[in-house]
Amino acid sequence: MIRDITIGQYYPGYSSVHKLDTRLKILMVLAYMAAIFVASDFVGYVIVLIGLLCVVGVSKVPGRFILRGLKPIFIIIAFTFVLNLFMTKGDVFVTLGPLQVTSQGVYTACYMALRIIFLIIGASMLTFTTKPVKLTDGIESLLKPFVRFGMPAHELAMMMTIALRFIPTLLEETDKIMKAQQARGADFETGNIFRRAKALIPIFIPLIVGAFRMAGDLAMAMEARCYRGGEGRTKMHEFRFGLRDAKAIVWFAVWFGLIVCERIFDLQSMLVAWLS
Amino acid sequence: MPESKIIVKNLTHTYNKGLAYETHAVDDVSFEVAEGEFCSIVGHTGSGKSTLVQHLNGLLKPTSGSVTVGGVDVTAKGASVIDVRRKTGMVFQYPEYQLFEETVYLDVAFGPKNLGIAEDEIEVRVREALGLVHLDYDEFAQRSPFELSGGQKRMAAIAGVLAMRPEVLILDEPTAGLDPKSHEDVLALIVDIRRQTGCTVLLVSHNMDDVAALSDRVFVMAAGRIVRAGTPEEVFADEEFMKGIGLGVPRARAFASLLARKGLVLPAAERILTRGRLLDALGALTS
Repeated sequence: MIRDITIGQYYPGYSSVHKLDTRLKILMVLAYMAAIFVASDFVGYVIVLIGLLCVVGVSKVPGRFILRGLKPIFIIIAFTFVLNLFMTKGDVFVTLGPLQVTSQGVYTACYMALRIIFLIIGASMLTFTTKPVKLTDGIESLLKPFVRFGMPAHELAMMMTIALRFIPTLLEETDKIMKAQQARGADFETGNIFRRAKALIPIFIPLIVGAFRMAGDLAMAMEARCYRGGEGRTKMHEFRFGLRDAKAIVWFAVWFGLIVCERIFDLQSMLVAWLS
Repeated sequence: MPESKIIVKNLTHTYNKGLAYETHAVDDVSFEVAEGEFCSIVGHTGSGKSTLVQHLNGLLKPTSGSVTVGGVDVTAKGASVIDVRRKTGMVFQYPEYQLFEETVYLDVAFGPKNLGIAEDEIEVRVREALGLVHLDYDEFAQRSPFELSGGQKRMAAIAGVLAMRPEVLILDEPTAGLDPKSHEDVLALIVDIRRQTGCTVLLVSHNMDDVAALSDRVFVMAAGRIVRAGTPEEVFADEEFMKGIGLGVPRARAFASLLARKGLVLPAAERILTRGRLLDALGALTS
């Protein structure tokens, strides 16, 4: 079940999106998120969608893989949709018992649901196309200017790298301990919520003990290889800003500019006026 | 011959079924183990040993095939999990990492408690189990399992399985990572348990010396299949084959072969699998 969650996973590939400078990708994702909030109407969202589809197409990450990533947040999307559908005041469209659906409600509901979906897919594109280690390296590099203000950039990045690296290890460990306790007759599947919560104790205690043990071993192994923090440390893979990145910036700027123009000049109303 | 204690028929377990990287961890494996028999499963890392033994108490469900332990079909849909777990005790690799209770007593009592055994009976079982692993009840029962030594922790964890009084005891690499003294202790313990309880034992191991010294029969696994099965003498007769699949033979057998290559052929060299027999053969030669 845990394996089904693709959100935050890396999808191996060699596309231009994969090869893009990580720092640039992070900044573009941040700008993309801002752009989603700038785009405020239908035409704006079409532009967002076109941009997103272009990136997905170039990255060659299969659509099914991306949609699977939406699964865990489906409830949030559905909740937002339903809430907006019934709670928005306006012209009554349909009445369902005590609930009223307004035409504004339908519009807002679709609008908010799409906004969340765009946000998630956009952010996922970053993790789908960037190895976790590169991602943390990128974050470290972007945070570097703040080191002089006391920001522990390297330490933060290292902690993130280690945390990511331990996720599969801990999952494996959990699986092992669960099996060992099941072999001793432990039952995690029946009983009410309190019984089930209590049944988790035999898993959590060995898991936490194990995590401390592994952390201790790792710290020792790092010190044995002379790790002493970020100062004076060089990187095996340096980020290099290339032609590909310059092109990406140009395309992104065009797309971003379109969204801003659309908002300022209200292209949607102009389009509607012209069509009618 | 009475009906076999463990019957495995055409067992196949496929990981990632239907995906491009599907793998047969266990591939069409069939074998039987008689009541009270001591069998070993050997094979290099990734040969499917652990996956295979996890089917014996229903922790894994097979992709196809069936497993019967003591007359209970473990793989049947409606199989009572508790029934299955009661019959088969499983000691995992590094079992000390599953200790979690405040005291050794409570940890050993965890299994019997899950089986729904009465409190006073549990105490009897904990005493018995700690006795079997040579941990003194009065000294250890009320101590925290986390303050024991490595060897003692492992003993306490094994006691936790023994307290369930299994009819079949499965041990997955029970001596991994132990010092020589603890290694010997665990082996002596297995022999002891078997003598006292008469349970059927299935040992998964990398150590050919242990396997040769203890087993009635040996199953050799490679790439998810059982490639050789028989008495230790039969299995280790083909030294080249055993080396070829990355396992090798007991040291005594290797030593006898080395002597043979140097021109000293011991009588019945293929039967020399343990240090005792090697010493006997050498003794017979010199006398």
